[in-house]
Amino acid sequence: MKRFKTATIALKLAPRALLIALLWASPDAASAAQLLEQASPRPGPAAGRAAPGFQLHTLDGKPISLESYRGKPLVLNFFASWCDPCREEMPLINELAANSEKGNYRVLGIAVEDSRAALDEFKKEARLIFPMALDLNNAVKRSYRIFGPPATFFIDAEGVVRAMVLGPLTQERALEALRKTAAAKN
Amino acid sequence: MKNCFRRPKRISFYLACGLLAACSSDLAPRGARESRGEALRFGAQIALGRAEANPAAPFLRAAPDGRLFAVWTEDAAARESNSSGHAAFHGSGKMAPSPLRDLLIAASADGGATWSSARRVNRSDEAIQGEENGPKLAFGADHRAYAVWSIPGEKGDKTRANIRFAMDDGQGGFGSARTLNEVKDAARFALIEFSPDGSLLVAWIDRRIDSPRPRQLYLMKIAGDGRALTKNYPAGEGLCECCKLGIAFADGGKTVYIADRQVSEKQIRNHVLRRSSDGGNSFAAPVEISDDGWQVASCPHSGPSLGRDSRGWLHVSWFTLGRSESEAGIYYSVSKDGGKSFAPRRLVQANRAPEVLYNSLAVGADDTVYLAWSNLDAENRAQIFFRAIGADGRWSEIQQLSRARGDASRPVLALGPHRLHVAWTETDGETSRALLRSARIGR
Repeated sequence: MKRFKTATIALKLAPRALLIALLWASPDAASAAQLLEQASPRPGPAAGRAAPGFQLHTLDGKPISLESYRGKPLVLNFFASWCDPCREEMPLINELAANSEKGNYRVLGIAVEDSRAALDEFKKEARLIFPMALDLNNAVKRSYRIFGPPATFFIDAEGVVRAMVLGPLTQERALEALRKTAAAKN
Repeated sequence: MKNCFRRPKRISFYLACGLLAACSSDLAPRGARESRGEALRFGAQIALGRAEANPAAPFLRAAPDGRLFAVWTEDAAARESNSSGHAAFHGSGKMAPSPLRDLLIAASADGGATWSSARRVNRSDEAIQGEENGPKLAFGADHRAYAVWSIPGEKGDKTRANIRFAMDDGQGGFGSARTLNEVKDAARFALIEFSPDGSLLVAWIDRRIDSPRPRQLYLMKIAGDGRALTKNYPAGEGLCECCKLGIAFADGGKTVYIADRQVSEKQIRNHVLRRSSDGGNSFAAPVEISDDGWQVASCPHSGPSLGRDSRGWLHVSWFTLGRSESEAGIYYSVSKDGGKSFAPRRLVQANRAPEVLYNSLAVGADDTVYLAWSNLDAENRAQIFFRAIGADGRWSEIQQLSRARGDASRPVLALGPHRLHVAWTETDGETSRALLRSARIGR
């Protein structure tokens, strides 16, 4: 039993010992440490996996969370007022929002690396009709593992990601993703 | 018992990672493996501008007399209302006002320790853009300062913007700004450099020809007294819709190098170098700096940095995600043949998590290459990091320069007499700061 415990402790410590040895031996400690970090990346959102939770405020100050959108599918669009492809897809997001009541889903825009003033202006300029929130300090962007906007996630009524489009959304992809999301059975 | 069988697997996994780290030239710069350069001692952090005005988007440039100048943007609303200008409501009158931002300039005669009172550069109220599209500054040989910045287009669209230019009026202020792009609402990411031939070269990414979709590189030359020496002229095409460009000169201004990112039909975005042998009038076909294979349909919003050393070597740093997330990071390469070819890329630092990183590069008089960039810390906050590559190829340790509570981003570097300066924007919630740290360099 004692031998088993010793072996277990040794096995537990081995990766750390190796890491220390590696950092000592490597000429680029930081890069080596990061390599090990990256070897086991955080799980990101994926189809069939629960969407990362968030707590934000809409531009008019209303607190929102992923939980508050439960019960209906959610089209979650990450965008920025300075982003070319985001601006180009905004008419489509607006159209999705206009049809959301009929389609029994909701649309939320999350602005990344943006300011309230710029967002207010963008909302008026592009005549955006869907609720939007500002991702201050980029916490939501990071939990959704987004390298650059736009990105759109289709989340079912139970909070599970059913489809994701990293890059500009097209009408065909949006309709297909909505169909998939609405049809999802948890 | 089952766990006992799993653990050796995990150990093998770590061992494999270790071997990979030790073997890959991407992961451990060869120079660094040989020996390490000394870390620089940076002084305390200095804040530029007025905290209540949310300073952001700092840019640094040393004047020929050795003084360090900084430009940055601030909320115009925080300014006491004594402006002679009028609020810019995007012309049409139908749009909401943009978030008006001023462009400020200040100088330091003691290596960044203390700063003069800030002066406003823009005479009329404008929505001066920041982030990757922030203001830039250049100096002529006669110490005259020139600034460029972007403002949104008439309809308020930041991506269809205009480039503004103003110059020092010789009386302690700046003259009225004028728009450089001849086709309205089509230009962004302006860069201004004073060429050794005595003229100013302004480069930007242009979308006046909106189809085919990739953007064009446009240039314009301006004389030291502000006169336009050329009209706007195209110098390249196929550019990614963003971001900042890099410029370097050689042969007294006869050779001009510009670094940018190309976008292919398949949305692959590799960085390239363009070379002109006639002072920037025409450019040869671009040379690929590295075949990173970054395929992305979204907005990468992080551009390359370019510098040239006394040997004529060209140094480039950039961010790429590469062909998979595990490749993502800040990379560096060097061309020792005047931009005809580039050495295989070397990793400066890997991404800690999915995030676009921003970088800046400067080359010292002793050919040391200084690199600053943003990356996430262990708490998932973006911070500013730094390392140097000596002329002998030695890579210094990575140093963390910021301790942001929110995010620190978009570093810029500038070299002054025996000093290196790094500035960046720090955001926390809805507030921002423009911060600076300096270090003594050379012996």
